[in-house]
Amino acid sequence: MRILVVEDDRTTADYISEGLRQEGHAVDALAQGREALVRATTEDYDVLVVDRMLPGLDGLSLVKALRAARVATPVLFLTSLGGVDDRIEGLNAGGDDYLVKPFAFGELSARVAALARRPRMQEAVTELVAGDLRMDLLARRVTRSGQEIDLLPREFALLEQLLRRKGRVLTRTMLLESVWDIRFDPQTNVVETHVSRLRAKIDKPFETELIKTVRGAGYRIEG
Amino acid sequence: MARLGLPALRRSTPVRLAAFLVALFACVSLLSFGVTYLVIRNRLETGMRADLEQTMAGFSAAPSASALAALIANQGAVTDPSQRILTYLAPNGQVFGNVALSRGPEGFLYIDLGPNPTGARRDYLGLAGNFFGGQLIVAANRAPVTALATTFLDVLLASLLPTIVIAIGGGLYLARRSRARVDRIVATLDRLSSGDLSARVVPMPGAHDLAAIGEGVNRLAVRQEAATEALRQVSADIAHDLKTPIQRLAVQLDRLAAADGMPEAGAALAGEAREEASRIVATFQSLLQIAQIEGGSPKARFAPVDLAEVARTFAEIYEPAADDAGQSLTLHLPGGPVTVQGDRSLLGQALANLIENALRHTPPGSRITVTLHGGAQPVLEVADTGPGIPAAERQNVLRRLYRLERSRTTPGSGLGLALVAAIADLHGAALTLDDAAPGLVVRLAFGRADSAP
Repeated sequence: MRILVVEDDRTTADYISEGLRQEGHAVDALAQGREALVRATTEDYDVLVVDRMLPGLDGLSLVKALRAARVATPVLFLTSLGGVDDRIEGLNAGGDDYLVKPFAFGELSARVAALARRPRMQEAVTELVAGDLRMDLLARRVTRSGQEIDLLPREFALLEQLLRRKGRVLTRTMLLESVWDIRFDPQTNVVETHVSRLRAKIDKPFETELIKTVRGAGYRIEG
Repeated sequence: MARLGLPALRRSTPVRLAAFLVALFACVSLLSFGVTYLVIRNRLETGMRADLEQTMAGFSAAPSASALAALIANQGAVTDPSQRILTYLAPNGQVFGNVALSRGPEGFLYIDLGPNPTGARRDYLGLAGNFFGGQLIVAANRAPVTALATTFLDVLLASLLPTIVIAIGGGLYLARRSRARVDRIVATLDRLSSGDLSARVVPMPGAHDLAAIGEGVNRLAVRQEAATEALRQVSADIAHDLKTPIQRLAVQLDRLAAADGMPEAGAALAGEAREEASRIVATFQSLLQIAQIEGGSPKARFAPVDLAEVARTFAEIYEPAADDAGQSLTLHLPGGPVTVQGDRSLLGQALANLIENALRHTPPGSRITVTLHGGAQPVLEVADTGPGIPAAERQNVLRRLYRLERSRTTPGSGLGLALVAAIADLHGAALTLDDAAPGLVVRLAFGRADSAP
């Protein structure tokens, strides 16, 4: 993937760029909003990572200008401001996701991946499959190796999120947002406890483990 | 501008003032009219009595009963009975004069001719006197007195009614004018208190008291807006200047942990240091958030929120965590949705903080209960069977960064309840801590569901 990182703090910019390059992405890094506006309108990127506070043209105005110029490249905002107002402001300006500093690299990487591969159009899927696990979205039934598994509604929703992004990492905060619509960090390990409940039903009784823990990042379901 | 309905009219100060003045004026007018009427009527009657006495005295000069009878008969024949009555009841029962009356006690009396069941007409004022064994009655029509009452009533209506109509009309006009001004001020105050600090009262011409209040409101709004903007700026500056170095610190710790040749113990230490950095940010994020909430700006986002749905979601999220810690979490909900005006995200965070507090400060085996009472004034409560909080300490725990002596060793920032208190305040809800005997019960009592807090 081609990724443009717009961040004025050198340490943070280097860290993000290096990490993304190690994952095999082609990364350009810029420190100025104006330069970024020129680059993003003339070249083709898969994802833009934009800091909200930039010298000159700030991140919010940059993305507004891009959207006005009909550049639809997905944007992940990085910000020091964590208020609900700030998040709404960022999303209204045309941002697709919002990450509050300080963040772990795993979180950034998972969100960049989720943005880039976001399906342009929602296909009408009725069944999700991972290995010998099948989820029937219409009948709301889950089977593994032909054996029916009884899931609570939220366990079903959690598994559905993991299956929809099969092979990709979903962080704890991404799961909190997509399954429970919660946008703050609980002090208790609530996601872990729900994942472990889900594992007890879909992994424990079987030979292979489908839900993998990705250290420092989150969870991934294998195909 | 709101239409001036009848209930609003009754509350309007100028209308009430006008109504009061009209009532006062009407009372004074009625009193003075009444007194004048009574005085004039009294004089009229006194004159009539004197006239009757004089007439009686003239007839009393007759030398005998037969002479008096002849005199009355003659006079009666030429006297119009509708103006004046002359009657002599002779000792033998014979009646002379222009009207036949029956005998009664001596002195002044009222006489009515024709059927008069109530006796209220009092057509004539009469005087009866006994002469030569018979009775002489002279009477005069009281039409002038009756006419006087009618005249007074006419004058009263002609002067008082227009006064009342004009006074009420003037009061209404003034009420509408001042109501429009008051409405402008009230609307501005409403917008200010709901978080829109750019609201201002449109300047009013003239130097009346309402214009002065409007200017006062505007001065207050300007200062409040400047203070809030300053707070926002400071928050943003702190956020940027503090978080950038913390981000670098986190980055460097991550690199250190992943560096080649790093022993496992070192990597673990770097990981712990990374966690500490996250905790610093969490504390500081909570402080910023409390400041933002106390600034009132989230009120602009208020929408109907179903507390039952919030309670269900969060009880469900924390249930497995409670179970793993050997605690139990149960939920009691009323039948239908329980709607309040608010910010779902903040209300959820308040409930999450209360549940997390209960999980953190109670031993295994404790029971945690989330209960929602519906109705016009919903109450959301989180109760536990843990050690509780001593009565003397309950107010203190709502303060920022305050922690009970025994909680200093458990994790947490000491901001959880302070944040809940700020969120409760924003929603006009009362936050109370009580003894659950045993344990602690924290209640969030909301105001009326259909009114903005």
